[in-house]
Amino acid sequence: MLALQLLCNGIVTGCALGVVAISFSFVYTTTKIFHVAHAGVYTLGGYIAWWLVKRGVPFVGAVALAVVVCVAMGALIQSQLYAQLERRRETHLVVLIASLGTLAVMQNVIAAVFTPNILRFDLPWASQVVHLGGNVRLTWAQMLTVVVSLAAFAGLLWFAHRTLLGKRIRAVASNPFLAEITRLEPRTAHLYVMMVASAVVCLPGVMVPLDFGLQPYNGVTPLLTATIAMIAGGVGSITGAFVMAVVIAELQNLSLLFIPGEWSIGITFFIFVIFMLFRPTGLFAAGR
Amino acid sequence: MLRLDGIEAGYGAKTVISGVSFALEPGQILAFLGHNGAGKTTTLKAAMGLLPLRAGQVSFDDQRIDRLSVADRVALGLRLLPEGRGIFPDLSVAENIEVVAARNAGANAMFSPDDVFKLFPVLEERRATRAGSMSGGQQQMLALSLAILGTPRCLMLDEPSIGLAPNLVERMFEQVRQVCKSHAMTAVLVEQNVAAALKIADRVAIMNNGQIVFDGSPDEARASNVWHYF
Repeated sequence: MLALQLLCNGIVTGCALGVVAISFSFVYTTTKIFHVAHAGVYTLGGYIAWWLVKRGVPFVGAVALAVVVCVAMGALIQSQLYAQLERRRETHLVVLIASLGTLAVMQNVIAAVFTPNILRFDLPWASQVVHLGGNVRLTWAQMLTVVVSLAAFAGLLWFAHRTLLGKRIRAVASNPFLAEITRLEPRTAHLYVMMVASAVVCLPGVMVPLDFGLQPYNGVTPLLTATIAMIAGGVGSITGAFVMAVVIAELQNLSLLFIPGEWSIGITFFIFVIFMLFRPTGLFAAGR
Repeated sequence: MLRLDGIEAGYGAKTVISGVSFALEPGQILAFLGHNGAGKTTTLKAAMGLLPLRAGQVSFDDQRIDRLSVADRVALGLRLLPEGRGIFPDLSVAENIEVVAARNAGANAMFSPDDVFKLFPVLEERRATRAGSMSGGQQQMLALSLAILGTPRCLMLDEPSIGLAPNLVERMFEQVRQVCKSHAMTAVLVEQNVAAALKIADRVAIMNNGQIVFDGSPDEARASNVWHYF
């Protein structure tokens, strides 16, 4: 029955990673920015929610306020950093280094303001265990993670394909030059993308720490796995990124049946290498 | 309508065009010819505001527009159909038209989405198709539709015939001519297909090495053996 439990754990982790992956992919596809600081926004969301919960704000309200703060942070990073670098026509490498620097600053500020040590949410309901039959046990926090992640996935798909702003953002991603000369205002679209992605990534940023607690440097591994999910799923495909995140999380979890846990990050990179060798455009790559 | 006065533009340290001037009347179609690298696309980009001017002026309806942003020039009615990339390939045909119409075609627009679907019925049939998966001819019809949505007054077409079958080229150019004449719209047609371009043009300009070396009627161009200027 261990296998079944690991399978369920994989779904929980995979869904949360999937949301990190789709939000990162949304930014990368549209702006071509390798937005590493996304991990910082993810971490920030968790800390803001923790702080609000500690001040007695109800959990739902705390999540909502954390989303607002993350949106503001995303807008700040886009307008004050990326947009300025783009205006100066800096290379992708410069933008990447600036993003890495932003991540480091965010992590350090969080560590300074809060603590570099692990913090736990004081929410008794979150760690209550639900027995799902077949000896599978999940906490309410894990169940909530799955539900919220699937909702975020469906919500982002709906936004990108059914709303005018979503279509405009996809148009900017599809042909930035034409977007410029048809008044779709790519720069404004980039700002909206960053705000939406920051709102979305805040959700796993709050949900995952319900289980594992908060640490300032916790965002990096999910982001790394998410970028691999994006590449393996096919850059530009929201569904591909989400599905591959779940697949990677499942493989990591099920590998525990055969090899020790410290190898699980190796599994991730093994998948990455396999894709780079045999299907570099990814599983769900749009036909071009 | 559109007027260029001695414009100069280039990339980095290199000046590509200099002293380029022409003025177009409403409804006039200019065939803008010249070999690859002569500076035609650079001229269009400079007129559109995609490249900064190093000298000279661009005016539209006797107003200087060379300080305006690209978006503001588009709003005035200056439109560019870029070479080989005039559509959003990852969006459906309907989405292509929807996003461009939303930003450009208000209530009093000369061309609404319905108008372009009437002009190109095949696009109506292909509404749900991913634009990038259509044939070259259909993609070019969509590109032309996107360029005219709203109220275009001067349409700059950069090699619209590239990759199209010859009979398609003639049909498409005829459509461009009709649209221009019926709506008093000016067009600048950059073309490699000289014969087809001369057929619909009212005027011909030939560019060589960044400068205009011939400016006259199609008859004059034919009489003086245009190849001499290439």
